[in-house]
Amino acid sequence: MGIITVLWEKWVEFRRDFYKITVAAMISPLMYLIIFGMGIQTTSHGEPYLHFLIPGVVAMATMTGSFSAIAQNMSVQRLYEKALDQVMVSPTPLWQFILGQVIGGALRGMYAGGIILLLTLPIRTDLTFNLISVLIMFLNGTVFATIALVLSFLAKSYTDAPRFTSYIIMPMSFLCNTFFSTDQMPSGFRQVISLLPLSQASSMIRAIANAEEPGLFGFAVLAAYLVVFGGLAVWFIYRKKNL
Amino acid sequence: MIELRSLTKRFEDFTAVDGLSLTVETGEFFGLLGPNGAGKTTTISMLSTVLLPTSGEILIDGQRLTRKSSAQKRKLSVITQEYSMRQDMSMDEVMEYQGRLYRLPMKVIRQKTEELLDFAGLLEYRRRTVRHLSGGMKRKLMICRALLIEPEILLLDEPTAGMDALSRRQMWNLLRRLNGRSMTIILTTHYMEEAQALCDRVALINRGKLQKLDSPAGLIAELGGFAVDETGEDGLKSRYFPDREAAIAYLRTAGQDASLRATTLEDVFVECAGRKLTNG
Repeated sequence: MGIITVLWEKWVEFRRDFYKITVAAMISPLMYLIIFGMGIQTTSHGEPYLHFLIPGVVAMATMTGSFSAIAQNMSVQRLYEKALDQVMVSPTPLWQFILGQVIGGALRGMYAGGIILLLTLPIRTDLTFNLISVLIMFLNGTVFATIALVLSFLAKSYTDAPRFTSYIIMPMSFLCNTFFSTDQMPSGFRQVISLLPLSQASSMIRAIANAEEPGLFGFAVLAAYLVVFGGLAVWFIYRKKNL
Repeated sequence: MIELRSLTKRFEDFTAVDGLSLTVETGEFFGLLGPNGAGKTTTISMLSTVLLPTSGEILIDGQRLTRKSSAQKRKLSVITQEYSMRQDMSMDEVMEYQGRLYRLPMKVIRQKTEELLDFAGLLEYRRRTVRHLSGGMKRKLMICRALLIEPEILLLDEPTAGMDALSRRQMWNLLRRLNGRSMTIILTTHYMEEAQALCDRVALINRGKLQKLDSPAGLIAELGGFAVDETGEDGLKSRYFPDREAAIAYLRTAGQDASLRATTLEDVFVECAGRKLTNG
């Protein structure tokens, strides 16, 4: 029930800021697709680079969409509006509030990824996107929504949210299998990068796009992030002395 | 009944609430008074579980209050000092969100929202977003939101701050009516006349510690029911006397500008807080 309440709140927010949310979700990924995929017309592994780029940009848009939907919003609600107090004092079980935020964030991520898929539909790529791709986008969104929740509970000022984006989202966008394959990276660095959630989400969506099996390892990595950060978010909301 | 047992809250090396113990009876109108930084808001924040105590505990009807205590939290509603609500929601949405958080049926939410916004004179602004409301309207909306769930316990942190005199009197009347329906009310306020007019008992706290706990009349009687004000080189000074005769006898010996009046809760507050600050 508490989950539905949070999803309702997210829906109110989405409905009100529909145009802003949609345009914000489109601009960066579209720029990347136009500049790197269409402007600089290169090939990768004998295929047009755009074929490599689209799955990565979809995964990246999912990450950015879900992270920004939660990080900015929760930081403002907790530190500036103090609107989180309304939830804290209510009888709604706080784990349901967390779960609602995570699902709401993931849906926003899927919306952002879905827009990119729609925009690239007219381009003939023969890439495959199926229900498993959607599941990966959702899982990726839940991971970044939980990371955003934990960071927003740690934030000391609501201006910290943009900093988190600079420290976490921006490096991941560029390093994690979005724009180039990590195969050529130095060994240790490559392994570390491959354990980051966006690397796995990009790899799996790309594998499906190329009609290959995504494998289970990526799901396991994303699930591990979800459990760890989801657990931390629940711990913070129940145990953090000064929310 | 609400029990605070050795409630302590520390922020790094600063102790905001220091071993506070007191009991508020069911249906009581209870005031928490103290100078700025005394620990009133921190206490309210712990009662609303936004802050967790460093040590000590809060019991509501004998059950320990934690963030997991849905049954205890259902009894509580809070009006915070700050406008703690989504600034981008309309009044209707703020009310609906509150109702949903407390699992009220939609029909009840809509009906009570209508009644409360009408009562507060906000009905015509119901679709206006919170950020476009005046301070007074936001304060009234917070009251409507708190009352939507018909709480057993109402926590009010400076509820009339920034209100004009008329709105404040309306608020007093509303609070009296709510208290008359056996609602337990805990109020923090800077306005001593407000506490004197409304509260059954008040706790004076300073630097997080309980200084005095009694009814306003009891605290006034303890200081002396009659005050003589006289202006000296150090400014205005008041002397307190247990009866009128003693006060009049002193008045005769005092200067021409001395005057006699009834002691108020503000005198008790000034004496208590002022002395502590001077000694502190």
